[in-house]
Amino acid sequence: MEEARLATTTLSTMPALTGSVGVPRLAGIGYPTGLPLGRPGDTLGQLAVLRAALATLESIQEPGTRIDLPFEWPDGVKVRTHPKEPPPIVGLLKRKPWLLPRFAAGKVPDS
Amino acid sequence: MTVDSYRFVDRITRRVLKAWEARGSYREIPWTPLTKPLAECTVAAVSTAGLALETDEPFDQESERQNPWWGDPSFRVIPRDATEKEVRSWHLHGNAANVKEDLNCVFPLAGLRELERRGEIGRSASRHYSFMGYILEPTALLSESTPEMIRLMREDAVDAVLLVPY
Repeated sequence: MEEARLATTTLSTMPALTGSVGVPRLAGIGYPTGLPLGRPGDTLGQLAVLRAALATLESIQEPGTRIDLPFEWPDGVKVRTHPKEPPPIVGLLKRKPWLLPRFAAGKVPDS
Repeated sequence: MTVDSYRFVDRITRRVLKAWEARGSYREIPWTPLTKPLAECTVAAVSTAGLALETDEPFDQESERQNPWWGDPSFRVIPRDATEKEVRSWHLHGNAANVKEDLNCVFPLAGLRELERRGEIGRSASRHYSFMGYILEPTALLSESTPEMIRLMREDAVDAVLLVPY
């Protein structure tokens, strides 16, 4: 995308993982995976996160810079982020745990 | 403050994600400077929550159930005015109910319209995009889906893009 002259920034709940693939601008947020902008219904909080994430488009001047945003997930607030049925890969790894190292190594079997 | 990237995940997931993190990237980081103030930019958002309009083709969940190493590499266009009433998440790794309750916890279309109204961004693009965020083998994602999305963004004169992994 950057090569196509599009300036990008990434808002990530797992900035260490996102940063490892070499994104140009990175805004880390300490929210649960699946809720990068905040709780359902928290319109003002979501807007604040959006504004802060977009601000990194202007503030980051060096490729590969990570800025962790100053938002804290409130203690005691629980929002269910897991799916009702476990993801297929989780079911597979429970049945065949010896495949876990292969999954961790990102070695996809030829279908 | 420093964000703990794995605070909310269990021990085994943490182990896998740290292994993925350690694989890293050895390419030069691509870079395009923002050439004008955000207040003049057309902004598009990209979510990997597997979002699709209810009227659009769903992401392929069944093939992933058949082959858990596979993820649907296609993408969907979501118009700027879409709301949770018209959009659904097909991602098998998250709680789709949160998206149904409030699209903006993963995909800030209402927020972008609000920032446009306040003059903080130039405009929210007419089209925004969603992928499925579980693609272990990214060849089709990189060689087909992403170039097509970029083509549409350029058609809409997009200047800046907010990527929001799910």
